[in-house]
Order: sequence, then structure tokens, then C-alpha cells
Amino acid sequence: MRWFASVRDFPSLKRIYPDRRARGWRIGLAAFRCSFLLTFLGCWSALAAAASSPTFTVGWSVYAGWNPYFYMAKSGILKRWADKYGVVIKVQRFDYAASLDAFVGKNIDACTMTNMEALDMPAAAGVDSTVVIVGDYSNGNDAVLARNNVALAQLPGKPILLVQKTVSEYLLERAMVLNGLDNQLPRLKLLNTSDSDIVGAFLGDKSNQVAVTWKPLVSEILDQDRGVKSLFDSSRIPEEILDLLVVRTDVLKRPDGSGLKFAKAIAGAWYETVAQIAAANAQAISGSAAASGDSVASYKEQLRTTYLYSTPQAAAQFAQGKELKQKMDLVRQFCFRHGLLGQNVQSVDDVAVLYPDGAIQGLKDRVRLRVDASYMQLAAQGKL
Amino acid sequence: MAQTFRVSDLTGIQVRPARLWTHSLSWILFVAGIALYAHFSILRHRDNPEDRVIPSVTQLVQGIKASVLEPAEEDDPLDPGASLMQQVRHSMIWKDTASSARRFFIALLLLVPAILIGLHMAVFPYAGAFFLRFVLFFDKIVALSLLPILFIVFGIDEWSKIMLMVIGVAPTLMLDSYNIAGGVPKEQIVKAFTLKSSNLDVAYRIVLKQVLPQLINSVRLNLKPLALFLFAGEMIASTDGLAYRIAIMRRHMGMDVIIPYLLWVALLLFTLDALLRFTNRRLHPWYQPH
Repeated sequence: MRWFASVRDFPSLKRIYPDRRARGWRIGLAAFRCSFLLTFLGCWSALAAAASSPTFTVGWSVYAGWNPYFYMAKSGILKRWADKYGVVIKVQRFDYAASLDAFVGKNIDACTMTNMEALDMPAAAGVDSTVVIVGDYSNGNDAVLARNNVALAQLPGKPILLVQKTVSEYLLERAMVLNGLDNQLPRLKLLNTSDSDIVGAFLGDKSNQVAVTWKPLVSEILDQDRGVKSLFDSSRIPEEILDLLVVRTDVLKRPDGSGLKFAKAIAGAWYETVAQIAAANAQAISGSAAASGDSVASYKEQLRTTYLYSTPQAAAQFAQGKELKQKMDLVRQFCFRHGLLGQNVQSVDDVAVLYPDGAIQGLKDRVRLRVDASYMQLAAQGKL
Repeated sequence: MAQTFRVSDLTGIQVRPARLWTHSLSWILFVAGIALYAHFSILRHRDNPEDRVIPSVTQLVQGIKASVLEPAEEDDPLDPGASLMQQVRHSMIWKDTASSARRFFIALLLLVPAILIGLHMAVFPYAGAFFLRFVLFFDKIVALSLLPILFIVFGIDEWSKIMLMVIGVAPTLMLDSYNIAGGVPKEQIVKAFTLKSSNLDVAYRIVLKQVLPQLINSVRLNLKPLALFLFAGEMIASTDGLAYRIAIMRRHMGMDVIIPYLLWVALLLFTLDALLRFTNRRLHPWYQPH
């Protein structure tokens, strides 16, 4: 005997629900239709929103000086500024190399990068780019590490672990030059080691005596092996390893003016965020630490060796000064010497840099990287 | 006897396409690939004449010239009067190919014992009992994740890369040769024993001899995983090699060198594969898989 009733027991209902299974199927179909409709409506409204306000994507990667972009987007600061200028700004996290690829491939509109990569990736690949924000410089974040009290003069002949053709190699070269060891440079034995494995490779094998890397990897190595010492770090070459926000020039020059609005919005949001970090706002710091999964203590330690231009005044002043030109010249000569400007670039002047005062480093008709201080200046004057 | 082509032949099984058809059909996808590349390259270069993401033909030619005729950046430049042969001998691609090939062949050599272990597993029950379960388990370990351990055990130089290749490919080869050797009919083995074969005779002169062509095919199939592990190792830590150069070139979008390198690697692997196939056919003319 069945203790439950079925549709079959009520013939009158059968008209409405011919079968239990069919009924389930119908409900499923209805749900499917609903969801389809909702998706459609969702897409449509998103499209409508996109049509009404231009959308821009900013790519960033994990680094003490760039983590604030994560907090800036999450805390709503960015949205407030974007709304003010009537644009939509999306912030997307990438691996560093991938972010550069995406920027050069024109898949994103703006990207965080160092001054060296700004020259050798987009600029050298003919993608005209503009520096909108000079965010910070590495003030000890990059370091040459060695064990057994090896000195810089003893480096030749020893394998040196580093990610080649990055600021690590630049730092190493500067360390040698500043210590009068220029003539030893060709004798350095560089071992290209991926940043994902450099800590394990260096700590795991004591016969590897020298490594050049960046924080937080530097801190990891120093914490785990007391015998390792820092021989040289980027605090000795201040303002040379700059961390920038670079926007594609054609985006800035969009005829509808939306690119300018985007740059203004992001500059405004950036300086509001940085002011919070400079004021040691606990929320801003923990929000930025969370961007890379670092602990607050570790992130604070990284910030100590990152010189943040915490006011737009300071950043604008530096961008307009003559130091920037001197430092950029060192970097571009390095890039050219190492073939980073391309196999077929005959002269360092083929990838030219335009500065805020109109001065051009390189050939006039080959300007590929522009430093534009106007957004930092507007922020400094409170006109954003 | 000229056969006329009908459209319905395209879906027929019992058809014999004319020679001209098979030849022209087999090149269509190549032509389509090249056309697609050219299309996007032209498109990007119209937008940005210096585009490096999809290099143009002139950029590619320059990249090939640089890699074939110029020494690697970390090496000393050649005298301007060097002959073409000297230029090639000291070129970037020569040096990289030599060091990658050395690693590749050492690893390949180290895989020979793996094949023999597989054979023994299939033929000798005690060997099978000893190895099989562990190899089955070890085969499922993702070798790349062992890399930090390999660095510690084998150092960061040559051996960690070679061992990565061996550890990555050996279990698969062992299991494959175990399966292949296990497929030899039991009757043959019994028969061999009745003809006074010794154990080793059966293993090496009955089983190995007739599965060897299949084993060589198995190695052929594993060339690509082998190259994959070689690339992974070289990209993570090295001072030379084909993948090292690709990793370095990627840092500044040197696709004009990367693409010729990729094609060169493909050509090398293809040649090696063809060589093995050819040897197989010469050594074992009786083996006709299809």
C-alpha cells in the first residue's frame, strides 16, 4: 500500500500535470527560460552601461608599490573618482610579464611597470606610451645577496642567480660600476633563474653563492639563512628603478576625451589612496597587504624600502626635474647595450623619450615614451 | 584509368583519392595557417609599423639572421673577417642547440634502462611485483612539482634538468613497455622453453626482439614530453639552451627570434622522429602496424 498520493490518484489534476516527470521537466524548462531571460537582460544592461560610459582596464601586478591599486579598487575610492569623471575603470591583476604582454598587445589600456620595462616593452615595440603617474622608486627592494662573505670584487666566475634582462641585472651592473668594477662585467656568469624558483634554488644549494632578486623574495632569503648578506641594494641607486603607471598614448588621445577623463580619475584615486597609506591608515595598509597575500608586518617592511611619492607635488616635481632625465639615460643605455630595444635597433636614440619640459632624449621623430606630469600637477593643485 | 571525382566521395570510405588530391589536401591547413599569420601580421603592422607581437617577414628574416650569424649577446663578438662557417659555428642558435641537444640525448640514453625495466616487469613476475605498484604511483606524480627537490638534490646545473626529463618520462615509458611486452602470447614463451631457451633468452631474444619496433614507437611518442620537460627546466634556471633563449627573448617581446626558434625546435624534433621511424623500418621490415 502506498502511503503517498500521486497525480495519478487525482484524474482531474492530470490535465494540468500529465505526469510527475513531465511536471519536473516543465519547471526545469521554466527555470531555464527565466535564467536565459535574466542573462539576456544582464548582458543587455551591461552593454547599455558600457555604451553610456567608456570602460578602461588597468593591469597591475604584485609589488609593494602597486598593491595599493587593489585596495583602491576594493575600497570604492576608484569607483568614486571614476563616477565623477563618468568613466568605468576596471582593475585587473596579472603576473608581471603577462601584464606587459597584455599592454603591448593592446588588450588593456593602462599598466603598472618599471621605467626599464616601459622602455623595452611597449616603447621599443612601437606602442606609444605615456607615463601618467610616477608612483615610487625602489629604495632597497632590489638587492644583491651573497653568502660566505663574498664581496662584489669576487663575483666574477661565480654563478649568479637572477632573472636576466630585468631590473635585477640592471642593479647588478650598477653595483659593479659604482664600485669601479666595470671591466669585470663581461666575466660575470649569469644564471637565468625564474623568480618562482629562485628562493628554493638559492637556499637549497649552498654552492650557489650569489643571487639578485627583489622583495619579498629578498626578505624570505634573509630570514631563512643568517649566513646571507646583502652586498648592494637599490637604496644606493635612488630614483633609478621607478615604478610607474603607463597609459597607451592613443587611449589618452581618444577624440571623445574619455582617455583624459580616465587619466584624471585614476590620478585622483591614486593620490587619495597613497595619502591614506602615507598616513598609515590601518585599513589601507591591510587592504594593500591583502593584494599579495602578505602579512601586514611583511608589507610594512616592504614599504620601508619603497620610496612612495606620497604627494602629487613630490611626484610632479621629480617628473619635471633634470634628475629623471639623468636616471632614464642610464636605464636606456643599459637597455640598448643588452639588446632590449630590439635586434634591429641600431642606436639608443631610436626609442626616444619626451619629458614634460619638451626636451627629447633621442630622435625627434621616434618619440615612443612620454612623461606627462600634467595629471600629477593637477592633483597637486587640487584641480582634479 | 582516370576516375572522375564526385562530391559524395568526400564522405566515402571506399574511395582512393588521386595522388594530386592527397597532396594538395595535405597542404591546405599549412597554407591557411600561413595566410592567417600574414593577415594578422599585416593588420597589426598597419596599425603600428614597429609591432613585435606578430613580426613581419622582414623582421623574421632579421631575427633569423641574428640567430644564425651573430654570436649570443653574452659571448665575445667575432672578428669581422670570419667566414660564414665560423659565423654559424659561433652563432647563438648553434650554441643553444648544442647545449639543449646534449641534455636531450643524455636524458634519452638514461631512458634506455627504463625501457628494460618495463620489459623485465612484464617477463619476470618477481620484478613485476617489485616495481609495478610503485611505478604506477610514481607515474601520476607531476614531475614539475618536484623541481625544488631536484634543485636541492642535483644542484642547479645540468643534472637537475636532465633528471627532470628522466623522472617525467621514465614511468610512462616503463608502463608502456610493460604493457607492450605483456602482450606477447604466453604460448610463444612456453614454446621457447620447450626448445631449451634460458630465462634471459626468452626475455631478450623472444620478447624484446619482437616488441622492439613498438618500443621504438613508444619512444617516438615520448619525444615531445621529453622536449617539454627540457624546456621547463631550461626556462626555470639555465645559462644556455633553446628554451633559455626563448625565455630571455620573451622579456622584451623578441618574437622575431622566438618564432624561428620554435620552428627550428619543431624541425629538430621532426627530424629525430623521422630518423627513428626510418631506422625502425630498416631494422624491422616485418613490422607492419598498418
